Amino acid sequence: MSSAVKSKPSVSWSLPFDGPTRSVFVAIVVLIVVGGSFFPQFFSPYYLAQQMQNGAFLGIVSAGAMVVILLGQIDLSVPWTMTAAATISTAVVGANPQAGISELGLLAGLGVGALVGFVNGFGVAVMRIPSMIWTLATNNILLGLLVYFSGFYALASQPSLVMRAIGQGKVMGLPAVVLVWIAVSVLTIFMLKRTVFGRNIYLVGTSEPAAYLSAINTRRVTILAFVFAGVMSALAGMMLAGYAGQSYQRMGDPYLLPGIAAVVLGGTSLFGGAGRYAGTVAGVLLITLMSSMLSIMQAPEAAKQIAYGLVIIVMVGLYSRRAAKTE
Amino acid sequence: MPETSAFLKLDGISKHYGGVFALNNVHFEASKASIHAILGENGAGKSTLMKSLVGVVHPEEGSILLEGQRLRMSGSGDAAEHGIVCIFQELSIVPDLNVAANICLADPPRTRLGLIDRKKQARLARETLQDMGVGLDIDVHSKVADLPLSKRQIVEIAKAVIRKPKVLILDEATSALTAADVEPVMALLRRLRDEGTLILFISHRMHEVEALADTCSVFRNGEHVETFATGSRSDEEIVQMMIGKPLSQIFPEKAGETPEAPPYLETSGLSWNDKLKGVDLDVRPCEIVGLGGLDGQGQQEVLQALAGVLRGVAGHIRIGEQTEVPNGPRGGLTEGYRVALVPEDRKTGGLFLPQSIANNLTAPILERISPRGVVSGSEEHARIDEMIRTLQIKVSSADLAVSTLSGGNQQKVVIAKWLATKPKLLLLIDPTRGIDVGTKQEIYRLLRDLANDGLAILFYTTDYDELIGLCDRALVMYDGRINAELSGDQLTEQNILSSALNMGVGAEERVS
Repeated sequence: MSSAVKSKPSVSWSLPFDGPTRSVFVAIVVLIVVGGSFFPQFFSPYYLAQQMQNGAFLGIVSAGAMVVILLGQIDLSVPWTMTAAATISTAVVGANPQAGISELGLLAGLGVGALVGFVNGFGVAVMRIPSMIWTLATNNILLGLLVYFSGFYALASQPSLVMRAIGQGKVMGLPAVVLVWIAVSVLTIFMLKRTVFGRNIYLVGTSEPAAYLSAINTRRVTILAFVFAGVMSALAGMMLAGYAGQSYQRMGDPYLLPGIAAVVLGGTSLFGGAGRYAGTVAGVLLITLMSSMLSIMQAPEAAKQIAYGLVIIVMVGLYSRRAAKTE
Repeated sequence: MPETSAFLKLDGISKHYGGVFALNNVHFEASKASIHAILGENGAGKSTLMKSLVGVVHPEEGSILLEGQRLRMSGSGDAAEHGIVCIFQELSIVPDLNVAANICLADPPRTRLGLIDRKKQARLARETLQDMGVGLDIDVHSKVADLPLSKRQIVEIAKAVIRKPKVLILDEATSALTAADVEPVMALLRRLRDEGTLILFISHRMHEVEALADTCSVFRNGEHVETFATGSRSDEEIVQMMIGKPLSQIFPEKAGETPEAPPYLETSGLSWNDKLKGVDLDVRPCEIVGLGGLDGQGQQEVLQALAGVLRGVAGHIRIGEQTEVPNGPRGGLTEGYRVALVPEDRKTGGLFLPQSIANNLTAPILERISPRGVVSGSEEHARIDEMIRTLQIKVSSADLAVSTLSGGNQQKVVIAKWLATKPKLLLLIDPTRGIDVGTKQEIYRLLRDLANDGLAILFYTTDYDELIGLCDRALVMYDGRINAELSGDQLTEQNILSSALNMGVGAEERVS
């Protein structure tokens, strides 16, 4: 091993993922095969579709989380951005239940996400407050606002037709929300690979001073990245409300840490500047399959948490070993 | 002399990265109590050699012998135990700790409870600095981040000296020192030599090598070319050994006459905080103007102010048609300004090290060459090819990380990325620091060609040879003002030095 000649780094478009990310995909296949041989229902299209549906909500959240992490920042306001978007959109629908107009709720929800994202980005980019603190604060403020208002008024919580159709419906056997995830993924890949904005996310994430000196509008890049993340959280929140038939408090809580974990498992550096979207997809699939398999095995919650922790430790180990090798 | 008498001996050391040999079967000897200079272009293998000596790099073949004993090292801690200490090119101090803590970093004094004894630490640090005879003005309690680069470098040297090494390696460790600090550091090195230390010394400043080294060894392409006593070869011969081809003249011919075009840049009374106290200068198209003087006299601030990076700049300013400084580097790109700043530190301000060469090159222009915000692959590739060709950047693929390039080629990438914005006024901060003679020469040629094509160039350099050889006019700064303007026959090392130290001569020049 030590005498091995260092090979040149592979050309960037040879494979959409590299070393450790490949092992995430291997782990996914192993999970499906092993799981399937013990629990035959694992192979059934119905079951897999069900898993994909669960994974899609996480996948949409992770797309937003990844863009922010690429900047070297973090968005901790995911849970209540999801809840706020879901609550407000279903309230708008509840107040205007007519078929066409009720879709305004969808717009209102996306608007909430964009607004929260803008506030997040403004605090980080202009007021220069560390994102870990600032987004935690916006999350708490959203929580307070929602509890305060829904405590006084009984908000009618009702998803619109589109929200319900996407959350619960199927297109050719595939859950519609999976199609939304695919669309989000295509958009994210295009954005990161082909647009100036995407390139600048990587550059600002690598070195903000160098990006500023290179005439890149670092503030705009940062704010837009947070807006993107906010809109993704809002989208996931509304789809989830459509799936559940209503919005409910703390509906976003299970998505914050798994969303970040999926990005990190996928090889994106928490320091920013490096990471591929294919890795994030792999991370989402792995987390989703693991959780469903542990559920089938009727593993206690404690064992589940230990399993998540171990996977993260193993993957972080693999990534840092690779980083040491390429030094 | 029998072979075993060599104090330090490298026997057939080889190390390769990919298909490229960084070191190819190197045999090298150095003796006790001597200062031994290692010369060579960047990429000649000097740094790899030094890293092998301290156990950071593990050669595939060969052995290292110190005092006849074969060394086996698995990390830099082992090297220190053998008495080999290195001061690397990249500063390795902890900016948020104070000076004393940095100097004692490897082995801080402890109290009986095992905690760090801060009082003793401060005393040790102060004693070391006093003993060294440099940096007496450094407060050992101040944070290293607050010190200028030159003082930080002295802290770095102190950190190595306190460990009383048998072999002390300086890898470009003097390149950040100002003229005033170089002399005491040299005296210190001579004293250490007389006390029996072997000092291996890498520097691109030839006059330092001549003043300091007893022996020189030249490396080229990972091979040891020749070892000789200092003074036994001429500069021409040495440079030829380093680059493998004769070097007729390092600096290109100057423009001669003052260009007739009106100045593109004019300032009077330029001031900022207490760093700039009224700077009057002008730069014409087709002209290279140098800013010189001791480090920290406001030279960098002048360039940063003109690039719009500083807030609260006052005074009369005219750049092209504009009468105020641009709004940041983005503002500098607008049609009315066309100002580009090549920043000081290519590792943090100039480059995105882990990103590809291509992404680095197009960073400032990508927005402009991408219709509706979507990157046009063909347009981008055309620009990248053009830049690599024009500056003759040696790359095997533009998709590799820019950190894989040698220092000289990295600097070319920084310059290329700014030239791509087609500036009319180019500001550069120490553009040739720590790069090899061959690349320096290419950069000089390039700057002169650009000036001949009508560019106005204002740059800050710590190297007097550059002020004299490259600049049409040199402005020597002292305490936030221009102390002297030197050109033609007046542009001599003597005059630069005396006005840099504010010894009167410069002031007279200014009046006449």
